[in-house]
Amino acid sequence: MKAYLAMMRGAYMIGLVYRFGFLFSIAGNLIYMSITYFLWRSIYQDRETLRGLTFDETYIYVALGSAVFILLKTYVDWQMSYDIREGMVAIYLTKPLDLQLYELFTSLGFALHALTTVTLSTFLLLIFVFHIEIPLGIGLLLFPFSLVLAYLVSFCFDYFIGLLAFYTESVWGLSITKEVIITVLSGALIPLQFFPEVIRKILLWLPFQAIYYTPLTMVAKPNLGWETFLPMLGIQLFWVAALFALTRLFYNQAVKVLRISGG
Amino acid sequence: MHSLKDYLRLYFIIETQYIKARMQYRADFLISSIGMFFSSLATLGIFWVIFHSIPDLAGWSFMQLVFIYGFYMIAISPMQILFDHIWQIRFHVQQGTFLKYYFRPLNMMFYYMSEMFDSKGLTQLAAGIVVLIYASIQLDLSWTLSRVALLLLTLFSASLVQISITVLAGCAAFWVLDAYPVLGLAWRLREFAPYPMNIFDGAFRFTFTFIIPLGFVAFYPSQLFLQPEEVSSLVYFSPLVGIGLFALTYWVWTKGVNSYTGTGS
Repeated sequence: MKAYLAMMRGAYMIGLVYRFGFLFSIAGNLIYMSITYFLWRSIYQDRETLRGLTFDETYIYVALGSAVFILLKTYVDWQMSYDIREGMVAIYLTKPLDLQLYELFTSLGFALHALTTVTLSTFLLLIFVFHIEIPLGIGLLLFPFSLVLAYLVSFCFDYFIGLLAFYTESVWGLSITKEVIITVLSGALIPLQFFPEVIRKILLWLPFQAIYYTPLTMVAKPNLGWETFLPMLGIQLFWVAALFALTRLFYNQAVKVLRISGG
Repeated sequence: MHSLKDYLRLYFIIETQYIKARMQYRADFLISSIGMFFSSLATLGIFWVIFHSIPDLAGWSFMQLVFIYGFYMIAISPMQILFDHIWQIRFHVQQGTFLKYYFRPLNMMFYYMSEMFDSKGLTQLAAGIVVLIYASIQLDLSWTLSRVALLLLTLFSASLVQISITVLAGCAAFWVLDAYPVLGLAWRLREFAPYPMNIFDGAFRFTFTFIIPLGFVAFYPSQLFLQPEEVSSLVYFSPLVGIGLFALTYWVWTKGVNSYTGTGS
């Protein structure tokens, strides 16, 4: 465990080196939030609610969504594909480490950095620049837990694509396809309420909604009550367990085809 | 100095080799093309979902936005296909491998960009053409020879705008350690180019018209075809915007190239 924590710390420190990047991410987020503000303003025009959501609720949802987006992108797939092509992965495999946990903790270090910089600053921008009042409710308390589970689900998808690199070496296409599927179907850009009824029902059965829709709903509508939130967390937990188990099984298969030449 | 013909011949030779090398990863090549196709259609899906709840967006109908989006997809394709190597510039500058581009008797921007030919951009281009034709049939637009010529001219200019914005962002690599956030921001902003500029208020509309002219990638030029009778005079400047912006970009690139000192190793 100590070894994994050390890796996490290392990754966090790397994040700190690129301070310019961090400032730019915040500026970028501010612009992005303003654009989405105008976009949703003109979608709502003078309507009180759309699909049961007020403008404020939707805006909290999408603006926070853009902050969480940076946090939940683990880049594990890109990293693994790079390590496999360069042969670095052979070094990890000779060490007494579990590859899944190694990738998880390294990515957590970066995520922690994104959390303390970009995500927190977005929260502050939302309150002080856009004057959005985030309503208080138990959802806010549950949000951190939900966010951790969301991260783990997102990690499993990235790790799965990373494992596919054992077969294809380069994963550009797979990563892009995965990203599009997740951004559209998880409700990262539009709350799922806006989807047509039938599609929405299907999406709630898929694992993608556990990444964005669940945690964002907890902040946008924090007063839905325990009876709504607990099953949501339960479903997230289910997906974390299922996807972790599946990717572990897949690892055992994928590692057999790995060929690293010389070096 | 080489002639344009020499450059075209060279480009053809370089890209043939490049595509051969890419074919090593055949599975990824295929999936990339499919992935590109889906990612270009994702925004249309989002438009579709939004219009499920509202009849129009700031006065624009769903089909009009589809038209603008088709225009946008075509306009961003040349950037994707021909200038994709800009994404690697920060690595080359950081690692010092950028030095090799100084040692050939070729135009440096040409030489640098020729090292990558992104064939999956062709999928996007094809999808864009289909979407544009589909929307113009649905909207019952009439096409004469001169209007088609105007379309080609505006598309050329719009693609120069997109190329310039991205390459300018990439040029940041010459002055800052990590240019990725700058490029990343340009990339994220790009997603908003197909949205009607009239959803923005004063300061933002001004910015996207005159400072980061995203409006000229799709929205302003499309108006020439969607509402030819009520376009603002600004729209007629769109061919000039592309050429002017590219000239500026080339100037900044040259400045960057001249100020780069290598890594010392």
